[in-house]
Amino acid sequence: MSAVIRLERLLHETVATPYSDLVTRPTGAAVRQRVLEALQEAAGDEAQLDFSAVGLVDFSCADEVVAKLLNQLALLPIIRLRLRGLREDHAEAIEHALRCHGLAVVALLADSPRPRLLGRVPDDWRDAFAVLADLGRAPAPPVAAALAWPLPRALDALGALAERRCVLAHPDDTFELGAVA
Amino acid sequence: MHVVPVPAFLDDRSLDAFAAQLPAWPPEGRVLVDAHATEWSSPAGFTALLTLGQALAEVAAPKPRLTLPGADGVASYWAKAGFLQHADTLFELHGKVPRRRADGASETLLDVTPIRESKDVHEIVGRINERSTQILKRELDLEASVVGGFGQSLSETCQNITEHAGTGGWVAVHVYNFRRRLGRKAVVIAVSDAGIGFRRSLEATQAKRFGDRWGDGLAIETALIHNISRFRDPGRGQGLAGTKRYLARWQGKISIRSGTARVCIPPAWDDEPPMSEGLAWFPGSQVTIVIPAREASP
Repeated sequence: MSAVIRLERLLHETVATPYSDLVTRPTGAAVRQRVLEALQEAAGDEAQLDFSAVGLVDFSCADEVVAKLLNQLALLPIIRLRLRGLREDHAEAIEHALRCHGLAVVALLADSPRPRLLGRVPDDWRDAFAVLADLGRAPAPPVAAALAWPLPRALDALGALAERRCVLAHPDDTFELGAVA
Repeated sequence: MHVVPVPAFLDDRSLDAFAAQLPAWPPEGRVLVDAHATEWSSPAGFTALLTLGQALAEVAAPKPRLTLPGADGVASYWAKAGFLQHADTLFELHGKVPRRRADGASETLLDVTPIRESKDVHEIVGRINERSTQILKRELDLEASVVGGFGQSLSETCQNITEHAGTGGWVAVHVYNFRRRLGRKAVVIAVSDAGIGFRRSLEATQAKRFGDRWGDGLAIETALIHNISRFRDPGRGQGLAGTKRYLARWQGKISIRSGTARVCIPPAWDDEPPMSEGLAWFPGSQVTIVIPAREASP
């Protein structure tokens, strides 16, 4: 199960504005609070923050809504948090905010079906993620083979992605991106 | 009465000459801002004049006078840009005050607008978004992704007021031709406040590191170049950092004047020195952002 949290709805429930822009720190902090409440209701599931009806996202609001939320990810009652419906400028603002905190998240942009990693993501993680997107559920050896890496390198990259909940690590030593749509 | 002449062309650079004519602060007597011979003002000029009026009001100085430009059409333009309606609340206006026409100036993306709290930033960003998207694409030939970054930069620059200034300020956004310096059109965001300035904002957390060297220039540099804000949260100070990154990608320029210094990140097309210190003092802080039109293909 994946709970979809429509950010423009939370914005309008939080701030009296006719616009759908996620701007300013106070707005971001208030929206994050509403997201946290929504995540309590989604306990045990995956959750997706849906940006598809959001106008502008500025750097401060990206920091308040996404980066600070991901910083609390270990304390959240959900399995994973993903972003969807992003425009390129949303992705840039969020990427900038996440880099400052050393965070990473999986995002689906509005104009592409291929999931993307945003944030501070070493090349190895990005490469392993891309291969896993093509392979589907797979153990580390085929990922290492596809990249012509020694196995420990693939295990390190996949382990780091799993630690950040960017991929799922299963008890049978396989990894997968999971549903992203 | 202390007369402060306004330069013939008032912008972020000629503001220095204007500031040099100000009396000792706070002024003892009444100030007359004389724009009679002024022929043009950039958005940075408009917002700075209002900042002066606001700063005088905040030190309980007598209401200053403002002599309007005498040249045909100049005062009308000032009215159309939304300057005079706010100037009227801060200055005693002298000269023929033109009625403001409803159509606004075509080069004005955002009239001179006050910023006091974060809901003003929402309103500014929301209001400008649709109009700016059309104009930036049509007039400046900018792509949609550039337009998104423009809105982010505008939002972050306005938020510097609500987050750091300790008082209100002003913003205006115009598109005009940078014929001499750039040879093409550019969009200019000007944000000015009458607040505490960068030096005082950062003093408690940063001044010790620099000892005697601490001053307006270093304070601006700390914020603009090193992305440091008065808050210790690592996400803070990133608004300016994101804006800089965006501007670097599109050959844009940012300059910040506060107190007696101005620091800028000059693109290749501009000759302004990165830091100017020992300028005449002017109240608060002034941020100017220039985003040039796309260069025509040869």
